[in-house]
Amino acid sequence: MTRERLLGREAVLLGVLVVVMLGMSLLSDQFLTLGNLLRTSRFFVEIGLIALGMTLVIITAGIDLSVGSALALVSVTIGFSYAAGAPLALAILLGLLVGLAGGCFNGVMVTRLDLHPLVVTLGTFALFRGLAFGVSDADAVSTYPEWFAYFGQFYLGPVPGQLFVFIAAITAVWLLLARTRFGRYVYAIGANEEAARFSGVPVRRVKVTIYTITGALVALAAVIYTSRVSSARADFGQGLELDVIAAVVLGGASIRGGVGTIPGTVLGVLTIAVLRNGLQLAGVATTWQLFLLGVLLIAAVFVNEFFRRRDA
Amino acid sequence: MSAATVAEPAARRGPSPLRRWLLRPEAPAVLFLLAVVVLFGALTDNFLRLANLQQILIQVSTVAIIALAVNQLIIAGEIDISMGSSLGLCAVAVGTVAVATGGLILPLLTGVAVGALIGATNGLLVTVARVPAIIVTLGMLYALRGVIFFVTGGASVSGIPMDARLVGRERLFGVGYSVWLLLALLLATWFVSRHTTWGRDVYAVGGNQAAARLAGLPIARTRFLGFVGVGVFTGLAALVYVGRTGGVQTSAGTGLELEVIAAVVLGGTSIAGGRGSVLSPVVGAVLVSAISTGMVLLRVPATWQSAVLGALILLAISFDGIRRRQVRGAA
Repeated sequence: MTRERLLGREAVLLGVLVVVMLGMSLLSDQFLTLGNLLRTSRFFVEIGLIALGMTLVIITAGIDLSVGSALALVSVTIGFSYAAGAPLALAILLGLLVGLAGGCFNGVMVTRLDLHPLVVTLGTFALFRGLAFGVSDADAVSTYPEWFAYFGQFYLGPVPGQLFVFIAAITAVWLLLARTRFGRYVYAIGANEEAARFSGVPVRRVKVTIYTITGALVALAAVIYTSRVSSARADFGQGLELDVIAAVVLGGASIRGGVGTIPGTVLGVLTIAVLRNGLQLAGVATTWQLFLLGVLLIAAVFVNEFFRRRDA
Repeated sequence: MSAATVAEPAARRGPSPLRRWLLRPEAPAVLFLLAVVVLFGALTDNFLRLANLQQILIQVSTVAIIALAVNQLIIAGEIDISMGSSLGLCAVAVGTVAVATGGLILPLLTGVAVGALIGATNGLLVTVARVPAIIVTLGMLYALRGVIFFVTGGASVSGIPMDARLVGRERLFGVGYSVWLLLALLLATWFVSRHTTWGRDVYAVGGNQAAARLAGLPIARTRFLGFVGVGVFTGLAALVYVGRTGGVQTSAGTGLELEVIAAVVLGGTSIAGGRGSVLSPVVGAVLVSAISTGMVLLRVPATWQSAVLGALILLAISFDGIRRRQVRGAA
């Protein structure tokens, strides 16, 4: 896989994004305004943060279905430990720890017991959601001190605060993946796990780290989400895993492993965000958004696979 | 030399039947199920009542019917996660036709036809367009939910006549029709898996694709038919679903795909393909339903039931992971 080819694929996706944006601005004159685009970004930072971790997971030929449930569990941990009398700062710390521990648990199950990630995260998908419902007793906590609103409702001028968090996270994960030895290990495992192991790559440690990073990013997204909607509930994030996986795969990562980039994923997240917001503004029903998203997903991967076969 | 001669007859006889059974894919799930039944039977008065066991089987039939077909597909090395939306669309089709024409046969045929069409679309996209199955069926999960809203205009289908609800509601010899249907499909699947070329190809293709190709097996056709099978069984399950609920909401079947895959995997079928038995999905589905019912009888708070279920699923697959590791270590 040469560098030009990877750049080429991202250029194609960028082209798609521009076309989608132009199309949307024809459908709705409110779409292509800076105000709208910035407002929209508030709703997609959570998906974007989790997609960064999911990119690492998918490059190693893994998958994590538990992210939506984990988001709910972290949100409930924060809300209910605060309601139980813990200072909010401690509650947030506790939430972050729970997210980290959940991701680490996924990683340990996958590597130590040699189980398929799909099976493990299907189990934790049920477990995390169940714990969230159990702890919250299907109730919500919706009163927080004023400063908690900073995480999800703060604006610096016209720019939503969480956009800075997203940009920082993009930079960090991009550097990790593209500029460090760890990043090379991630690709090596995805391309051929057996060969990576025989070449001395610490496969288990890398994988556990990847799932833990994903857990941490989910926790970060959960803090922002809880603050944005100013509530903690166990039914948060249902179906979130599908949006995240769709964004990553749209961004060119191969579900078969070994291929994928952070810039690609960011473009994938933006494409889905623009598509959803634009269709919303144009008054297209949610159902057609679902339909178009599904068709777009299959078509994008078809094009990717087609070029990959032609190059091979 | 002499040691080898002495050991030979034992090796030829192989391990005892019990040991052989214990190595079967569904063995851990069956033992787990027995333990659960004994536990709940001892702890509650009502668990072992016939009415309760009957209820468990009726509850399980929708998921188990679909899981029978998904099991074959997973053994063949592919996966389908579009069942939630495709059950919804099949149920809408069954319900709409039942309201329009009445009767049982026409709604049944419509449901099966719609299911088969969805399955064939999935299969073509995977085998001909060569898009990975998880992406195709994830896309379908979205797209078909959109189609459901388009077809129904967002309204639910209601007032389904009793004729069409036979399979989900009525009983034959004291056992629900849905349970008879499940049993019939289990037998049919067993026969096809055991005694037809396609049934044998499924294991060969999923177990080692390269070897299957060198042996000249029709890999694409085997997998395509696997997808169509899932569609057809989803259509049949829709008939049970409509019979039980009597109406179809636009959200019908949401989340079902994960229940089905959980049943298949809990039953001992390997997600990597090539290993699993026809019984696996049924045992897995009954196990999940037995645990849920037992927790209700034990008055476990409703909010905690899902957590306990998730923990038990993880426990069950961990056992399987440890067992496989030991088998490999011994070999």
